[in-house]
This record gives sequence, structure tokens and C-alpha cells, in this order.
Amino acid sequence: ATDSATPVLGLDADLKAKKQRVPTAKLDESRLLSQNGIPKLRKNAKTKLKFKGKGHEFSDLSRLLNFYQLWLDDLYPRAKFADGLAMIEKLGHTKRVQIMRKEWIDEDKITRGD
Amino acid sequence: GRDVQVVDPEVRAHVYSLVTALGGFNGEDASKYCLGDDALACLRDIKKWLRLYDDKTNRLDVARCLGESNLVNGDLLPIIASWRENNGHTKKHLTRIALACLELLVPLTWPVEIHSQMTVNHHRHTPYLQQSQVNYKRGILDKNSGLETLRAVIQIGLPSLALARSDRTNRDEGILKLMLYLFRNVAMISPPRGLAAEGDEEETSRSATINAFQDQDVFALILTICSNMGDDFSFQDVILIEILFHLVKGVDVQKLFMNDAQRSVKRKDELSDLLRKETGVKREYSKNAPTRHGRFGTMIWVKRDDAKVSTVSGQDVLKDGQVALNKMDQTKKWNRPRHGRRQEVEAASGDFNLTTNLTSTATKTLRTFVEEFLDTGFNPLFIHVRQAIEREAERVLDIHTLQFLYLISWFLQVERVRRSTRRKEHEKNKGTSREFEPDSFSIVAGVLNQETFVFLDRAMQYSFDNKEWQDLNANMRCFTQVLLTVQEMAASPLEEDQEIAENIQNRIFYEEITHDRILSMVRGYNEQGFGYLDSCTELLHVFVRMLENYSKENVDMQVRSKRRARRAAKTKESPKNKDIQNDEEMASEDEDRVDAIRVSRERTFDFKRFAARFCNQKSVDTFVKFTTYYRELDDEQLKRAHRFFYRVAFKQEMSILLMRIDILNLFYRMIKGPGALDNSKPIYRDWEELVKQLTRRVVKKLDQRSGIITEMLFSKISSTVYFLEYGHEKQTLSFG
Repeated sequence: ATDSATPVLGLDADLKAKKQRVPTAKLDESRLLSQNGIPKLRKNAKTKLKFKGKGHEFSDLSRLLNFYQLWLDDLYPRAKFADGLAMIEKLGHTKRVQIMRKEWIDEDKITRGD
Repeated sequence: GRDVQVVDPEVRAHVYSLVTALGGFNGEDASKYCLGDDALACLRDIKKWLRLYDDKTNRLDVARCLGESNLVNGDLLPIIASWRENNGHTKKHLTRIALACLELLVPLTWPVEIHSQMTVNHHRHTPYLQQSQVNYKRGILDKNSGLETLRAVIQIGLPSLALARSDRTNRDEGILKLMLYLFRNVAMISPPRGLAAEGDEEETSRSATINAFQDQDVFALILTICSNMGDDFSFQDVILIEILFHLVKGVDVQKLFMNDAQRSVKRKDELSDLLRKETGVKREYSKNAPTRHGRFGTMIWVKRDDAKVSTVSGQDVLKDGQVALNKMDQTKKWNRPRHGRRQEVEAASGDFNLTTNLTSTATKTLRTFVEEFLDTGFNPLFIHVRQAIEREAERVLDIHTLQFLYLISWFLQVERVRRSTRRKEHEKNKGTSREFEPDSFSIVAGVLNQETFVFLDRAMQYSFDNKEWQDLNANMRCFTQVLLTVQEMAASPLEEDQEIAENIQNRIFYEEITHDRILSMVRGYNEQGFGYLDSCTELLHVFVRMLENYSKENVDMQVRSKRRARRAAKTKESPKNKDIQNDEEMASEDEDRVDAIRVSRERTFDFKRFAARFCNQKSVDTFVKFTTYYRELDDEQLKRAHRFFYRVAFKQEMSILLMRIDILNLFYRMIKGPGALDNSKPIYRDWEELVKQLTRRVVKKLDQRSGIITEMLFSKISSTVYFLEYGHEKQTLSFG
């Protein structure tokens, strides 16, 4: 009965310092819609993306792909290009992103004056 | 000396003493097998052990002990051989013993497979038994020691075989069954995957089986029974289907019909193809390989926006920006977690997706057999089996449907290839040989009748609804081959064939349900494996092409469509609905009502409308998945994918569906690498052109509508697809 107090108080038990892990960043809706996400993509596309046109199809295509790859690397450096694309595609099915997608298209319609 | 007792020692002792008492090679003549005094009783006791201990208590212990004591190769096979050599069939007692041996051989060679109801004992013994069954098979096929086991087994069955069907007793039928099951087992046993093979694999290969079947007249027996199916034989049909299935599964039909010269040319082609591929890989490597030693230590910066840089090391990155970007991607360690469908444990013996190579003698033998079979046994057997399956006869198992369907597809393909080789041969010696007489397709007519189509239809729907993918896979292959055969029939010079083909096509294309189902099978791909992908894409390809031609020729084509008039009915009945509280009741009633108000009516078929329906994101995704295997696909398969994408993008004007970065990325890799297609092949040009045209559209689209830059990341929503493609909203007209 003498040492019955210890388990109750827990004085002798080894104190384990739990390391606080930084939660791993996730590629989710809010990240995708944040400033670094699609808004940046839209902004940059207007200024940075220039194509040479006919006769340069493959270099144009690679330019386009690289543009996306670098953008994705900035947004979520953890994922490989193909993985990142698949994750984003999946996010595209969520309600929030779908509403935004509609909006972007509508914006496009308005600026074109349709 | 065993550390772990896997079997009860008492059982082992009993079984071993029986095997010892059976007889042995230790008489005066050591090369001659001496039967023990009570050999027949011993054999019967062993059988009892198998039945009463193993079967009743659901273990495999006795089978394992018999495997360890080498009963099959040490006793049973020598006994059967000496019975045959010494004219044993004249002696009643010896014949009984031989039959008792056969009665043991069949359960011992019965394939042990991984199934869902395994006990601990099963798991313990299965690998051992699989290994020892391969040994049994080696012993049974072994010719070198003078055993002709298969021939002897036929001889055991011969007296029963010779009787007319009405005169056969149950015992006779039983003997026939035993005989055929032994052949089935021999054909079926194959070295287990994932276990190291013991001894020479060649001795138990498919080629060895085929050769032994030929040498010992098993093929002749099979032909006899098949061609008399329905008259003298009846219950044997499904066993024969099994034998045939295990003999031909995975055999390449094209190779079967090449002569040696062609085959060696083909093999050389394959070799040079492979070599070319390898040099391609090497060249690609050497293009990017370091030109200096491994510790040369180059490092570069990739300048990016906002004055940021990324570092990449290695000399290769100096040359080309693209390489640097690829490398940046490759060096990432994290992989997206994948939650795919768990691969079901597929019984290896039922898998027809694996190709098997045959030696040249075996090829010739099998070809002769297959041709004779087509000429005599095909129709009677296949009609009989179809009826048995439809009747749900007791002997029919689930697996038989799959085997039946696979065999139809395989034999139809054989018939088509045989015709084309004949035609070619005829053209080659045009001057010398006599006038070419076209054959009619009547020798495969047994599977080209209305009953079979109904059967196919139902089986396809059933396996699709019940998610039995392997069955569905066989079904799709079968349907594809039927379509191809009918197409060839339509081109036949015989008027009768043309007429029949016309008729069949009418029926196939008349039901709109068939069209819908094929589409939904393509759209329903979800990790069912490459075999499924291959079959469903091929089926869609063939079906669409033929349907297009057919509807062009028959402009006023009608289809029967089943439409639901659900909405109208719902509004009508809604007040009544509110009263019903029970959900379940409501659901079932709902279903009834839907069924009841499905009205079928005829309407004119519009190919454009049909084609538009398969231009959707899901079927594009399926074909994209298929295309990701582009490095392993052959020219025909690449062509199939190419035609599909071409149709989507340019014929149907839905290139927007392909404007997704992952798809474009895949296409780019196919053309420009790393790991690009072989650019000396003609199919490469096709793809290059496709990607070029598509890129042109992408660039144009980006110019017209900047909003597409975001949409390229996603699958399109159906409501916006039309706008993105054409730039204005769809005009909806109301059709009357």
C-alpha cells in the first residue's frame, strides 16, 4: 500500500516529451484557391505564356507544360507533376471549386462581351 | 526428424503403411513392379482415407502424405503401365486394380487452388501439393521410361466408351468421367506462379502436354466424343470445354497459322523489334548520359519568378532546359497515396490474359487438331454446352460460362485466320492450283444463331451487373469476335452467307440496349486491370466502326429503344406516393413502376447522335488509361487508341475533352520522350500528327478564351463543355 500513490500521481513515470510535428501541408481546396494557386495561374498566363504558333507545335506544347509544372511546383513542391495534376483534377469535383470554375468562365464571357 | 509436425503422426503412419503394402520394385526382377498381395484392398483403403479423412474433415493431410510417399510416380503409374503392357484388360482382377489406380489419380491431380474458404491446413499444404502435382504431371507425361499413361487410361475407359448411350450403366458413365477428368487435370496443372520450379519446366509445359495428347491419341478421343455430342454423349460436354480451355488459353492464334518460315521471320522481326527498342533506350540514355565522371559535380540554377531559383545537379541538365525540368520532377521523393482496387486473388488457371508460347511441333500439332475440331466437333459441342448452361444443368459450374465464351472467341478467331491464310496461299499459287472455292461459314454456325446472341446478351448484362470482370472480359472478347466474323461473312462471295450476315447485323444493331451497354462498359472502367481495358476498348472500336458502316449503307435504319416515361408517371402518381410511409415498399414499387412504364418504340437511328454519346469524359479517361501503357502496346492497339482520340477531337469536334494537362503531358511524352514511341514506326507518324493538330487547337483556344487556362486542370462539367468548345451556349430545341 506504500507505493500505491505513485501510479495515481504519475510522479515516477517517465515523462515523454512528445514532439510536436508540423502537420504536413495538404493540397486542398483552400490551397488551390489561395493567392498562390489559381489566381496566380490566371495572372501569369496572360503575361508569361506566349506561343510561336504554327510550325512550332511541340515547343509550344512543352512551353505550356513547363508553365504548369513550375506553377505546380510553387504551389505544392512535394508532389511530382503527374501526381499533382491528378490531385487537382480530383479537387475539381468539389462543390466549392466547381462554383469558382463557373465564375472564371463567366468572367471570361463578360470580358469578351458575349 | 521433423521439427514441426504438419500432419498427425498417426495418420502419416497409417497412410505410409498402406503405400508400402501396395507393392514395389523389389521382386526378383528389379525393373518390374510387383503388386502386393492385397493391392486392390490397399488402393481402396487409400481412397477411403482420402474421402473419409480429407474430404469429410476438410483437410489436405492425406493428400500431403501421399505426395511425400511418392505414391503416384512410384506406384500408380507403374501399375497402370504394367497392366497395359501385359494385356491386363483380359484379366478382370488386374483391370479392377488399374481402375482403382485411376480413381486415385484423379483426386490427387485435382487442382488445388487458392479460394475463399481455406482453412489453416489448406494454407499449409497448398504450396507443397501444387509442387507435387507438377511432379505428377511430369510423371504422367513422361515418355522416356516407356510409360504411356494417357493411352492406358483411354484403354481403361474404352469398354464403357464402346457401349451405346442407352446401354451404359452409371458405373460406365463414372469411368468416362474419371478418364476425362484426368485429362482435364493434366491439361490444367501448371507450375505455380511465385514458387521456384523444380526440375525441367519444359517437361510440364503446354507444348509437352499437347505433344503427349497427340502421341497417345487423346486428341483423337476428344474429337470422337465431341463430334458425337448429343448422340452418344451428353454429360461429358462441360468437361470437354474445360479440357479445351486449358489447352488453348493464351495461345496466339496468328502464330498458330504461320508455317515455320513465317514464324521464324516473325520471331526475327520480334527480335529486331526488341533490339531496336533496346538501342532506342540506349541512345536515349547516351544522349543524356554524363560525358565526364560521376563526381564531376555540376550544379545549375533554374531561374524562376520572383527572383527565386531552384538548384539541379548533374551535367546533363546543362544542355537542355527540358531535361532540368524533368529532373526537378524526378528527384521528388513523395508519391501520392493510391487507393486502388485490391487485386482479387485470381485463380491462375482461369487467367487467359497470359500468353503462352509453343514449340514448333506443338504448334503444328495443335493446329491440326484445332482444324479437325472445327470441321467436325465444333458445332455439336458448342450447341450442346450452350443448351446445358441455359438449362442450368446440374453439372454446369459458374466457371464454365467464362470458358465457353472464351473458347467461342478463340475458335472464331481461328476460323477467320484460317480463311485468310488459305486465301493468301491460293493467291500465291494462282496459276497452278485449281479454282478457289469459297467455304461457307456453316462450320461455325452453331454460335452464330439467334439463341447464342440472346445468351451472349444476357450473360453480358449479368456479369456487368454483378461486377464479375473476368467473365465480362471473356464476354467482350467473344462479342468482338462475333462482330468480326459477321463482317467477314458479309464480304463473302457466297450469297447465302451475305444474307445471313445481313440478318445478324440487323439483329445486333437493332437493339439500342446493346449500344448503351457497350458504352457503359467502356465508361465503367475502374481499375479492373489491363485485360479489361484491352477488351473493352477493342469492342468499342470494332462496334463503332461496323455500326458506322452499317448505318451508312442502311440509311433508314431503325432501332428499338426503351425509353422511360418516368417523369410523366411521377407527377401523375405523386399524391398517392405521400401516403406510403414504408420506404422499402416505396422503393420496390418504384422499380416496378419504372419497369412498367418503360416503353419500347422504334425510331430512326442517327449515328452522329450515337457517336456524340461516347464522346464524354469517362470514355476519354478509359482510353487515356489504356494509352498510358503505350510502351507495351502493339501497333494495332495504338491504332485503336489513336482512332478514338481522332474521332473525339476532330470528327466530333470535342477536342475540349482532350484539353487537360495530364492528357497533353502523356501525349507529349509519347512523341518527345523521355520514353517516347519508336519513331521509325508508321503509327508514330499518326500520333505525331494527332498531337500536332491538337496542340494547334489548344493554342488557338487559349488565345480565344483565356478562361480555359484553369479549365485545363479539370475534367469539364457537361454544362460548360459546349460553351468552351464553341464559344456560345447550346441552342436547345425541343424535339417532338
